[in-house]
Amino acid sequence: MESASGSGLQAESASPDRRKRGHGFESRQERLAYAILLPVLGTVFVVVTYPLLFAVGQSLRATRGGDFVGLQNYASALENPLLYDALGATGIYAGIVLPTEILAGLGLALLVHRTVRSPRARLALYVFATIPIVIPPVAVGVIARLIYAPGYGVLNHLLMLAGVVQAEIPWLSRRDTAMLAVSSVDVWQWTPFVYLVFFAGLQTVPRESIDAAQVDGATGWTMFSRIELPYLRPLFLMVLFWRIADVLRVFDHIFILTGGGPGSTTQLLSVYLYRVAFKFFDTGEAAALAVMVMLAMSLLYAAATRLLPLERD
Amino acid sequence: MPRRRAGRRWRVVGVPVLGAVALVYAFPLYWLLVTALKGEGELYRATPSLFPHEPTLAAFSSVLVTRRFFVLLENSIIVCGATVLIALAIGFAVTYPITRLKVSRRLRVGVLNWALSLRFLPPVAVVVPYFAIVRGLGLYDRPEALVLIYTIFNLPFSIWMLKGFLAEIPPEVEEAAFVDGASRWVAFTRVLLPLAAPGILASGVIIFSFAWSEFLFALILTASPQAQTFPVGVQGLVTQFEIIWNDMAAAGAIAIAVPLGLMVLARRYVLAGLTFGVIRGQ
Repeated sequence: MESASGSGLQAESASPDRRKRGHGFESRQERLAYAILLPVLGTVFVVVTYPLLFAVGQSLRATRGGDFVGLQNYASALENPLLYDALGATGIYAGIVLPTEILAGLGLALLVHRTVRSPRARLALYVFATIPIVIPPVAVGVIARLIYAPGYGVLNHLLMLAGVVQAEIPWLSRRDTAMLAVSSVDVWQWTPFVYLVFFAGLQTVPRESIDAAQVDGATGWTMFSRIELPYLRPLFLMVLFWRIADVLRVFDHIFILTGGGPGSTTQLLSVYLYRVAFKFFDTGEAAALAVMVMLAMSLLYAAATRLLPLERD
Repeated sequence: MPRRRAGRRWRVVGVPVLGAVALVYAFPLYWLLVTALKGEGELYRATPSLFPHEPTLAAFSSVLVTRRFFVLLENSIIVCGATVLIALAIGFAVTYPITRLKVSRRLRVGVLNWALSLRFLPPVAVVVPYFAIVRGLGLYDRPEALVLIYTIFNLPFSIWMLKGFLAEIPPEVEEAAFVDGASRWVAFTRVLLPLAAPGILASGVIIFSFAWSEFLFALILTASPQAQTFPVGVQGLVTQFEIIWNDMAAAGAIAIAVPLGLMVLARRYVLAGLTFGVIRGQ
């Protein structure tokens, strides 16, 4: 906003020739803006929206034959007990992953904020923390496989070396440990993101507030809850929205690590949808699920735009 | 002084905790690399050794040459490169008007929010219609289909990052060019683009990394080395009946090395882009 309006005014005052045209210049700019935006956004809009409408169409037709069947696909999708297993698994996964990542990320951010003073060390930590975010989840799945797999998996050997366990634990084929293994990958890959957000947030707390609080004798918990937490609050929301959206799209590392098993223990919603569409080849039911997921996501998005402190200009 | 004492207490906790965290991150990567450097004979010992006794690049050559994964590498680079170019071009077409031209606030906010909404588009939900549409267009098992889809999914990052970088360039620099009689296009290409170059590089790196990591669409929309990307190849090594550990690790290491190298290049601007400007880069 600032730069753009500045641009108009500055240009006018800079050139007397343009100033004469005054208002005309601004509307010419707006016309140019629309001339660039409309074709581009129009094309993107069609390319994005058409598949969504296509999915609605698919969800209303029979998988075999393509007859119009109304809401029958929705009914059979909702009647399938596997859907509720998938929702349950997604809930458990989110219940493990979100609190762990937020608490660990916040804890680490506070720890580094309090103990690491040298700017170079901070920059190094910053760079390291960005790395897990950009490496392929498939490769992280490979690493996890090298750690948890029976036989070559190194975790069992380390545990036996330390005398913690006597026999191999089949991490990926036991119901309880499989979910933990899959969640641990998520925590490993995404805690650094949460850390980065909170660490950057802590840097925005004004020095004066901290000094003032220290003069008043605030330390430790009081300092955090009264002075720093208010600055971090909007970031909690952002992290929560981002991570919920991500949990709903988690697919790659589960596909690599357990494939949704044992049974359907780690078959999260996305893995389930994939199986309905590409293993059971039930396009109609998969499309119905897809439409419902999209509706849920638009609700999440609506909440996000209302509550997030996004830069609006 | 209470402050000094509190600081020391943090340090007593901090050093061991940070050490443990470093171990949790370094060891898995170390284990991946070590496994990739092992020869076949070393894989089947009763207890896997924690370091390679005779380090060898055999697994890398086995993956890239014998299994012909260099073809997949090439596909990935072409698809990701094309995605970066198109996503950035569209990103500029969208962000230039809303940052450098005088437009209404409603238009600007509307465009940015719409771009954000794409971030909430769940891939697994659109994969069902995409599969049918791509087949209908005859683009199944072709890189073009992936480029199109990766472009759409990276537009939010492209738009929000470029918007951030363009907004930081003061309008005066362009106006100086206008005064000298430059056209808008010349001012854009000769003045604005060079100034935005570091930001463009950073955005390009992030988009490349995300496209490089993408797996679900590549898995579903490709079927042969004609269009398969590297992560699909990696996955093929994992789900086999008998896993060749060193080959799988070598493929994983290559998959990580590419974005890792690029990220070191663009480290300064990454965070601002990933968080849609909620957090500024440092």
